[in-house]
Amino acid sequence: MDIQLKRGLLDACVLAAIKNEDSYGYKIIKDMKPYLDLSESTLYTILKRLEASDMLTVRSVEHEGRLRKYYHITQQGQQRIEEFKKDWKEILSIYRFITREDGRHE
Amino acid sequence: MNKERFLAELRRQLSGLPQRELEERLSFYSEMIDDRMEDGIPEEEAVAEIGGVDSVREQIASEIPLTALVREKVRPGRRLKGWEIVLLVLGAPLWLPLLIAAAAVILAVYLVLWAAAVCVYAADLSLAACAVAGFAGVFLYLKNGNPAGALFSLGAGLTCAGLAILLFFASTGISKAILRLTRRALLGIKTSIIGKED
Repeated sequence: MDIQLKRGLLDACVLAAIKNEDSYGYKIIKDMKPYLDLSESTLYTILKRLEASDMLTVRSVEHEGRLRKYYHITQQGQQRIEEFKKDWKEILSIYRFITREDGRHE
Repeated sequence: MNKERFLAELRRQLSGLPQRELEERLSFYSEMIDDRMEDGIPEEEAVAEIGGVDSVREQIASEIPLTALVREKVRPGRRLKGWEIVLLVLGAPLWLPLLIAAAAVILAVYLVLWAAAVCVYAADLSLAACAVAGFAGVFLYLKNGNPAGALFSLGAGLTCAGLAILLFFASTGISKAILRLTRRALLGIKTSIIGKED
């Protein structure tokens, strides 16, 4: 898959995973498992990228005698999800155009 | 492998990363393993799910830009002493040309690779031109009333066309191989920077 497209998809997926409530690394991976298999180092890179662009904030919470990082979506992150939905509608209509010739309407 | 050994091994293999980045990554993996164990997964299995140390290092290498690694590497760990700066400046006529020469050699070797690819393309193009000339020759020979010559010209044209087609696949193959080599070399450089501390 095109790298740029995949990056945008993964960003939106991770944002969606923390959309309704703050979450932590392992839970994000577990929540996404039925849809896509995300490796730890990939998730780390995505979280760093999203933090750097102010889409989410991080806080450490004590849990069972150790620290666990919770990720919280920001206003900008919510906005990014909305943008993603809009973009995707466009992509879907382009997809319909591309597959129109061979009669595979989906 | 248990968690402690995994993290120690990872620390060793990633010792070339910037210190803060290294600590952050290690605590990230440590949290991931702890959370898995809390979820009821046995320690060894939780570690195995993260993947091998080598594959983790490889993934990190492919995700970090080379420039960031080099910048971190070039920055000295401590402030330079006065005499070191003086030495660096005075030594510039010596080390600067050497550095430039080394960079030029590497660049030259890389350009030679591409030159080889361009040569093959050029040979391919001339073969294609010969093919066209061969086909054109058929008409010239026929016009002069020489069927044997026309047949020869046709054969030569077809041969050149065939060779040109074969060589075309070869030349795209060579270009792709050079690109692959470039990617591999970059990844190799990054892996060695991450993996070794001087």
